[in-house]
Amino acid sequence: MLPSLREDYLEAIQQFSEKNAHPPRYDELAAARGKSESEVRSDMEDLVSSGDVSIVPEGVITLTGQGKQTGESVIKKHETLQCFLSEILGMDTSSASDEACTLEHAVSDETINRLDQLIMKQDGTWHRRWGRQGKQISTTQCTVDDYDCQCPSISDCTEGETVIIHCIHGRACAKRLLDLGMVPGERASIKRKLSNGALVVQVKGCDVALSPEIASAIGVERSS
Amino acid sequence: MKIALLGNPGAGKSLIFNQLTGLGIEVNRYPGSSVCLECGNVCYKKEKIEIVDLPGIYSLDGSSEEEILVRKFLEQGGADVIVAVLDATKLERNLYLFTQVTEFSPKLIAVVNMIDEAERQGLIIDIDKLSSYLGVTVLLTAASEGRDIDRILPLALGSSRIATLQVPYDHHIEAALKSLEKTLGAPRYKSLLALQGTGDDSMLLDAAGAVAHEIELRHRMSVRQIIATNRHNLSRKIAASAVRQGDRKKTYDLDSLLTRVFPGVPILIAILFFLLLSVFVIGSWMQELIVQTFTTYIILPFTALELPPLLERIGFSVLIALEAGLGIAFPFIFTFYIGLSLLEDTGYMTRAAFLADRAMHRLGLHGEAIIPMVIGFGCTVPAVMSLRILKTRREQTIAAFLISMVPCSARMVVIAGVVAAFVGIFWAFSIYFIVFILIILTAVVLSRITPGEQFGMIVEMSALRRPQARLVLAKSWLRMKEFLFIAMPILIITSIGLGLFQYFGVTDAFQQLVAPITVTLLGLPEYASTALLFGIFRKELAFETLAVLSGTADLGSVMTSAQLYIFAIVSVLFIPCISTIAVLYRQLGARIAILISVYTVFLGITIGAIINLLIK
Repeated sequence: MLPSLREDYLEAIQQFSEKNAHPPRYDELAAARGKSESEVRSDMEDLVSSGDVSIVPEGVITLTGQGKQTGESVIKKHETLQCFLSEILGMDTSSASDEACTLEHAVSDETINRLDQLIMKQDGTWHRRWGRQGKQISTTQCTVDDYDCQCPSISDCTEGETVIIHCIHGRACAKRLLDLGMVPGERASIKRKLSNGALVVQVKGCDVALSPEIASAIGVERSS
Repeated sequence: MKIALLGNPGAGKSLIFNQLTGLGIEVNRYPGSSVCLECGNVCYKKEKIEIVDLPGIYSLDGSSEEEILVRKFLEQGGADVIVAVLDATKLERNLYLFTQVTEFSPKLIAVVNMIDEAERQGLIIDIDKLSSYLGVTVLLTAASEGRDIDRILPLALGSSRIATLQVPYDHHIEAALKSLEKTLGAPRYKSLLALQGTGDDSMLLDAAGAVAHEIELRHRMSVRQIIATNRHNLSRKIAASAVRQGDRKKTYDLDSLLTRVFPGVPILIAILFFLLLSVFVIGSWMQELIVQTFTTYIILPFTALELPPLLERIGFSVLIALEAGLGIAFPFIFTFYIGLSLLEDTGYMTRAAFLADRAMHRLGLHGEAIIPMVIGFGCTVPAVMSLRILKTRREQTIAAFLISMVPCSARMVVIAGVVAAFVGIFWAFSIYFIVFILIILTAVVLSRITPGEQFGMIVEMSALRRPQARLVLAKSWLRMKEFLFIAMPILIITSIGLGLFQYFGVTDAFQQLVAPITVTLLGLPEYASTALLFGIFRKELAFETLAVLSGTADLGSVMTSAQLYIFAIVSVLFIPCISTIAVLYRQLGARIAILISVYTVFLGITIGAIINLLIK
């Protein structure tokens, strides 16, 4: 069995299980892959022998630990590639998806990690929209301003910590913060934190006092 | 010839302006407090040169009043030469504004100020590198020492030029700028503003809006963010190559005390308490002096003239108003302003705002609102004027209500003169206590019912500095003039009006009319209503009128302690003075002014009636 075919199967089984909350039967998997049921049956025997899946009675296909791991990793590769192709290179969604299907089998883990980082750098809000729950990429409404990203907010940090500003939500206060130098990628150190979350943040050599509600709108990356 | 100073708040513009023109003008490091344009004339080489001090701003494409004002000024070519003032200790951040100024292509020179402070911090600025980057003449100054300030004018007149510096924007933005210029002929700065959704040319805005949307999709960042980042990056590049960090002298950081809850909050309370106490002590002493002198040398000779009664009445009213104005303005308000300016010039007020943020949140406000509140202890009029530092209408409205209730120095006189003198010092404090409780209750209710959004605090902490006596005095005097200018005419006119009422017997009719309220509800003597009415001018007139009407200065002999207490609390809460109403109207419109007046009258009478009931 071709490695790419194996990965495609594992990916499909994992995806199906995630989506429907139960593992697929032969006929369901066949429908998902667009193949005949007999073809799937013979392929599954190969996968059982390679230790990726196990077939419980009534024809339900479940992944073993090894199979699940491979499946998940392929899904991640697919997502990252598709995201890169469509959002950064500007390809349309369906051809990006097709292209990702081919590339996902050849690409190394390291390449995927680096692409992932690149995407994160471009825009901190990416991951969530393109994460496990939302498999659909929407190309509209994607300014950083109006999206709440998963990165921790500066109000979660402790006094004395130095962080890198990642994104700012909310248009109203964003402007003044930008003018004071709080742009993505800028280093900020927290000089004082009061118990209510009010902060004094040092940016570009200037101390700026922030209300808790403003501070919580600033997403940061912790630098080590 | 017109020269304008432009720069970040706290870069020392006003100080430079002050030294160039020699006029008494305020230096204010609180963001955005010198909003009106200050102008001064100076004669240089037999030429009259007008110097304008523009309000301190962080950016030219925002929507705050100051930013719009400066933007309009630059667009219209308001000055022949712009002197861009930069803070040497925060050069990178200050250059951000400079990069925007160059887009309007005015003739420029750059003044890097506070070089003394930078030297102390071990920063070495390479003037040649900086000037070749910026493409304009650069001058290093230290305004607090007066170093090289005299070179500004010759340079501004002789070697100003249009800066060559241009921000290299992201290529999508640059492409958009080019296409907007080609299709609509819009200049670079206008297109940049339009891309960020600012401007009044609807065609340009539409075109720019469409492009901006596309850029945002592509970058997954707002256009504002891209533009700001590009500008900051350029500023960083310039600062990195022009500024070198030498040895830094270790200095003790006072902020480790001032911005912590402990001992920061006790220090804050102590400072405010000390401020009010000294205003009260110095104020009452000076007031007595002024009122006595005024009475002996002006009012008594005037009454001795024995003019016809109507004329005498009018003249007397004018004199009383003058006496009132001087008797409150100099002793209390001027003293208070000196204290306040001192606090501001040290840079402490921004720390106070930071510490107060939490408490102010409970009142539906945020840290910056502590400034108007503190000013309110001195006089309500300038407190209302300073409301503009709050950014949303909601906060301004809430703060206006609270400020009108804060016991100003005139109300302090009533409390001291009526309650502390005849009832007891403990009871005097209880009035403060009641008023504070009412302020908090009002705030809690208002923060729930006032429509609008809350905008948090973003305040740049100004550096801690030693204030300079001359500047503090100059600034206090300027504020004082502003107060006299607004309050004096109103005082005189109302005083005449009231004098005439009294002359024609209208006040008696009024007394009769409100007698049910004064006598039945509040348990006060009938003439107290006239005293309260006089309190509308300025609060402590209520106390003085009461003494006149009751026929004795020893109020304790004609009224019971309960009556005195009720009188004091009603006049403290009751309707803000006429100058306050006028300035409320000017700042927030008729509706709020009326609402506040009605609310305080209602509150004063209700609380008075409740206390009356309780005591009975």
